[in-house]
Amino acid sequence: MYDSYGGSFARFFATLLPFGMAIIGSLLANFPISFTDGFLPAPLFGLMPVYYFGLMRPDLMPVWTALLAGAFEDLLSGGAPGVWAMAFVACYLFADRQRDTLAGLASFGAIAGFAAALMVAVTTAFALVAVYYWRLPHVAPVAATLAANVLWYIPALWLMNKTQRQLVGPLRGDF
Amino acid sequence: MVSGSLRAGRSRSSAQIWLAVCAALACVLIFLGRVQPTLFDRARAYASDRVAPVLEAIRTPLRGAEQWGGSLAEVFRVYQVNLKLKDENARLRKWQNLALSLDQRLKRYQLLLNAVPDPEIGSVTAHVIGRASRPFLNTMIVDAGRRQLIKPGEAVVDDRGMIGRIFVAGDHTSWVILLTDLNSRIPVSIQPGNVQAMLTGDNSGAPLLVVSAQGARLRYGQQVVTSGDGALLPAGLAVGKVYWDGTDFRAALFADAGRSDDVRVLDLTLRAEKPPTLTARDLPVTAAGLPPLKQTPPAKPAPTLPQPQTQPEPTAQATAVAASPPARRDQECDANCLMRRELSGVALDPHIRRLGQTPMSQQPPPAPPDQTSPDDQ
Repeated sequence: MYDSYGGSFARFFATLLPFGMAIIGSLLANFPISFTDGFLPAPLFGLMPVYYFGLMRPDLMPVWTALLAGAFEDLLSGGAPGVWAMAFVACYLFADRQRDTLAGLASFGAIAGFAAALMVAVTTAFALVAVYYWRLPHVAPVAATLAANVLWYIPALWLMNKTQRQLVGPLRGDF
Repeated sequence: MVSGSLRAGRSRSSAQIWLAVCAALACVLIFLGRVQPTLFDRARAYASDRVAPVLEAIRTPLRGAEQWGGSLAEVFRVYQVNLKLKDENARLRKWQNLALSLDQRLKRYQLLLNAVPDPEIGSVTAHVIGRASRPFLNTMIVDAGRRQLIKPGEAVVDDRGMIGRIFVAGDHTSWVILLTDLNSRIPVSIQPGNVQAMLTGDNSGAPLLVVSAQGARLRYGQQVVTSGDGALLPAGLAVGKVYWDGTDFRAALFADAGRSDDVRVLDLTLRAEKPPTLTARDLPVTAAGLPPLKQTPPAKPAPTLPQPQTQPEPTAQATAVAASPPARRDQECDANCLMRRELSGVALDPHIRRLGQTPMSQQPPPAPPDQTSPDDQ
């Protein structure tokens, strides 16, 4: 009985883990402390689990969790509401459309896949911000964001791979 | 096989619907944010209030590490820095004396001219407990909020110049939108020349200067100060210097938001402008050297003889004019009132013009009364 309860709790925890990682990532990314004196923008830690688990475990990271994670990012970042929510959904949509291609990529390919999805998300956010404030934002911080995110994705990918293998497990349809 | 493909197609279509619904929800969120910009502000203020102790706890060792690392590099050039500081100190003392004497002179001139006093500027000193640098956002969090009487819109300065302004005020913490932020727009004046412009952040290190006057020319090195237009920010706060980046004029900011640990939040309190109260000396008669006139009690109005109501008398007009406002209001009449009065046979006041009647100002003057003045007698 204990095992059964323990097993169900572990399964429940594993189910919540991808979304929890996105929320914790947003919290970490929006912790208002800059280690580079503002030289590099904070990475989008919340987007990384959305992309990764959206590819690997879409049953645990459905599109509405991407929307919630984006809205949470909006809440914490202090920017215009809805911008990151839309950007996260756009990134999820891209990953969903290209799942067959992106899920098979490994090492540098996986990072390139994330870079492409990130480009979709940031371009969406850029366009929305440009329309929202009716002027073009400076491109340099956006480019710096892209670079910082791609660099940070390398350790994040290792962590998410570990999490998926040891805690979450593969999708049942894969068997 | 067929049922499997059908199931897959059905789940695919439901996923498509979910995607569309979520995209629509995100659009609704954006729309709500546009029409109600303070939608998330309360939640942000609450969140920053709650995490403020954690931020301070983390910030303290970080600041220590930063200072330690910075001082390690400074050790090797402390002698040159000391000489430079002494030289700068001597120059600044000279400027301080000049500024003090000019300030005194300015106060004397203001006193002489009876000028409206400058607005009072109170301030609250706050510590920076966090900075956020995002691709479309540059903000800072300070540890002072509504409990310290901080309000959104107030200017935030450090010892060198303006940094930004408050945009969300929580109980103990406030969010500062930096001048470099995409949302930041403040009216500035460029000196000398008093050219009015708008300092517009675009998330680059130096905000754009959008000059409002046509034909105004800016030069490298001109000073940018706040203009105080709109009475939201104090006038004359140092902001930066003008420079040309090849395509636009920008302001190189004096303040460095990345290195400011303590800032001041300025509270601009505009006093109501009251004209100086008149004294006997302000009267032209007194100014001409003549004694002021003694106030005499107002003469009693001459008793008027009772007149028949059917004949409108010239005195009635004077009475109507001299009547107090409520009485005057009673005598004013609209079309319905005129009609009622005419039907009831009440005589109309002469200042009330009937429809179609010639205005009194255009009427021929009345015939002189058939009596002689006392002088003629």
